[in-house]
Amino acid sequence: MSGKHGHKPFEGHMHDYMAHIQAVEEDLEYYRAKRFEPRIIYLLRRGVVTFYDLLQVRATLKRKDHFFKIGKPQGTNIEARVRYLEEWLDEYVKGIALVSARAVEGMDMVTEDNRKERGDYDDFFKIKKKEHHGALEERMINLERDLTDYHELLEVFVQALIKRGWASRTDLEQRWKQLHEERPWAGGIIVAKAWSDSEFKQALLATGREALREMGVHQGKVGKLVVVENTDRIHNVIVCTLCSCYPYDILGDTPWWYKHESYRSNIVQNPRECIKDMFNLEIPREKELRVWDSTSDVRYFVLPERPAGTENLSEAELAKLVTVDSLIGAGYALEPEQLREREAAHLEAETPRVRPD
Amino acid sequence: MSPTSSKYKIGDAVMVADENPSGNPRTPRYIRGKRGVIGAVHGVLENIRDHRGVHNPLYTVKFDVSELSNCHEPDSIWVDVHEEWLREARRDS
Repeated sequence: MSGKHGHKPFEGHMHDYMAHIQAVEEDLEYYRAKRFEPRIIYLLRRGVVTFYDLLQVRATLKRKDHFFKIGKPQGTNIEARVRYLEEWLDEYVKGIALVSARAVEGMDMVTEDNRKERGDYDDFFKIKKKEHHGALEERMINLERDLTDYHELLEVFVQALIKRGWASRTDLEQRWKQLHEERPWAGGIIVAKAWSDSEFKQALLATGREALREMGVHQGKVGKLVVVENTDRIHNVIVCTLCSCYPYDILGDTPWWYKHESYRSNIVQNPRECIKDMFNLEIPREKELRVWDSTSDVRYFVLPERPAGTENLSEAELAKLVTVDSLIGAGYALEPEQLREREAAHLEAETPRVRPD
Repeated sequence: MSPTSSKYKIGDAVMVADENPSGNPRTPRYIRGKRGVIGAVHGVLENIRDHRGVHNPLYTVKFDVSELSNCHEPDSIWVDVHEEWLREARRDS
């Protein structure tokens, strides 16, 4: 994808609008085709919600009764519009979380049902994703239109759940409020502690989630956690070739490319070349490269190497050197000089959103 | 149904089944029919948010990348595989 679009993934700071727009496009299609529509289809098949419920709700719904309220961009310049699209995408993703399994009373739906329904095991069920072309302005207009359409279906779907009595508006509103209470990203804190405290590091590598409990970090519940350590001899990389398994309950959202087909297929075919092409990261010949492919019961992240010249830094300073890419093995932790350069250029650190699970 | 003790141990040479219609579908196609070595034994894991019931014991199997593709780098792919997909394999055969 780097070659195709001419952008290195995750170099997407706000100076590069196209990279931001591309990330929104990829994520939007992912969440629509992999997280939301398969869920509707699952419930349609079972008569929980029917096409006719959706049509009736749509015909009678008044704007004042909308569950979701979408604001307006804070300005007309490109940066404000890009931010607006990103925030809108985030509201859409939260809305999908709102109608997840627990929203529908009496429906015993687990992640595995969604994977079957969306064709993880059978191409027959795959929902086609849109492709995006064109210049920045055209792509932004297309995204605004897609988000309008996609959010409308989500709105109608939520209303249909309420109308059919599968969920109460009060419960949904309470859950919606919870979904906006984001937790701070713990990736940097965990790694900085492991770099500074060898006893904690050993516990983290040996027991995963248990070690996080002692540290007071939210440890989540989604499968066993395995942390793999990068050293001067071994470079580890994480992937989920079947879908997008990741310890998101601890580390929040994945970068968009982690869910992208090209990363998921290339990384297990020729990992060294894939990392070089996609992330401009050349792993030294003397290092063994290990790729970890998750099947959902185990979730992995990488403990990156501690950068040189960081002996005198505090844990809080060390935490700033940890990037999302470095926890997947798609990058190294920053050297202090690199962090200074980023700060001097006013490049904000883009930490993932961590939602309540 | 699910054995509670794991059949294989770290270092055992294993072969992934080509087909296993009743097996866990989360076994990627690119390792089917391929040889690897047990790299980690996880046993039976509970993951109720993810799936119903209890799966067979889980292993992480190490594959040389050259076993899986025409890439000849000395790198390895470590894949989580449930027990019903694995067969004993003789080493170096």
